[in-house]
Amino acid sequence: MLGALRFGFHMRRDTYAFIYDDFLNDRKYERGLAALDARLASLDLVGRAARLTLFRSAKEIIESMVSQGSDTVVLVGNDQTLDKVMWFLPDLDVTLGFLPIDEPSRVAQILGIPKGEVACDVLAARLIETIDVGRLDERYFLTEVALEHTLAAVDVEGRYRISPSVGGSIFIRNLGSLAENGTASADAKDGYLEVVIRPEEEKNSRLFRRAAALETRVMLKTGEIVASQPIEARVDNHVMNSMRFKIGICPRKLKLITGRRRRLAPEGEGLPNAEKTANLPFTTVQMQKASTGGGIGIRTSLRG
Amino acid sequence: MFSSNRRSDRQDYEPLSTPATNGATVIARGVKVEGDFVSQGDVIIEGEVNGHVTTNGLLTIGTDAKLKAEISVNDAVIAGLVEGMVTVKKRLELKATAKILGDVTCETAAIEAGAILHGKCSIGQGKLDKESSKDQIAEKPFGEKLPAEKPGV
Repeated sequence: MLGALRFGFHMRRDTYAFIYDDFLNDRKYERGLAALDARLASLDLVGRAARLTLFRSAKEIIESMVSQGSDTVVLVGNDQTLDKVMWFLPDLDVTLGFLPIDEPSRVAQILGIPKGEVACDVLAARLIETIDVGRLDERYFLTEVALEHTLAAVDVEGRYRISPSVGGSIFIRNLGSLAENGTASADAKDGYLEVVIRPEEEKNSRLFRRAAALETRVMLKTGEIVASQPIEARVDNHVMNSMRFKIGICPRKLKLITGRRRRLAPEGEGLPNAEKTANLPFTTVQMQKASTGGGIGIRTSLRG
Repeated sequence: MFSSNRRSDRQDYEPLSTPATNGATVIARGVKVEGDFVSQGDVIIEGEVNGHVTTNGLLTIGTDAKLKAEISVNDAVIAGLVEGMVTVKKRLELKATAKILGDVTCETAAIEAGAILHGKCSIGQGKLDKESSKDQIAEKPFGEKLPAEKPGV
């Protein structure tokens, strides 16, 4: 039914290419898809349509639609649908739209796109953002690279190497985070990737915990992940294995239709200093206040 | 007894949200850095660093931090261990838990009782140089020309 609706507009010049994920074949999505189609038609958002299947390459499908004149590729599905095309899509000169139908839809949340037929209104508004895309070896990624429970190190721009002392998890983020509650913690428009390291907790640390721990956070443009044995890296939701990965950022590489409530940059950006330091651990707050305080140069006798 | 403690501890141990770090670069406890750590803006170090630390912002070194590094920063607040030369353009603050094994140069300093410093300490050298150059200018008799600046310097 949805195909008939789309393919009925062949006489008109296609600008939209609608790509439906294969999980939408399930009968439980029939109603939702019918409502979505009706909404798209009422907004005059029409174009070619195709469905991803197990035996058809997403790259071939999209490239053929782009070669036939589509300049906006609209993915219908969930976050995993994005993962299926993100590894090659930034190389095509297209604008990406997204209509989330089902969970997981964390990326959709970050992009400010509501789930279901109301997402069509976001598409119609065409609020386009040009954002950065990360690259791990030859593969593009939108959200993050995650290395969990690893002893790997990150070589930052050939200048220094950073690693968890006794193992931990490393996240290299471009847009938001899949590991947390969906709020943006990395800025996808700053031309940098954010490296976050969470060391493993020490033994007995649950009983003898100290003050709140900060996350390690550094920025990089290019770098390398190195390990002494093969490691598993989760790129968006795809898994790659190697002992070395080259990593970098491709600034302003992807045009994306977003909602008004997009969160492409951390929510704290632009907060006054007082608010920014409100959650700092006691010692750090004290030290920061002291450093910005009146500057009374009290000299005391030095020990040693 | 333990369960209640654990609950409160867990709340304390929640990772901080991004705004808490104030956009600063953070090297947290349990993380090691080796090499030339160059950064723009504020840096907070609570882990280990071997090499150099350079930033044009404020460097905050926490109580558990261990640095074997030459430090060159704009402002610094030190509460941990530093082995190496510390050069601070403006203001250095040593907390009571600070331990510095190396020479220190800064413009102004605030040092808490209990801080340990093994090495030469030069505070206000820049001010001294400025004042002496002013004095030299003032000492010149009226009408005497100052030495011409070399082109390209």
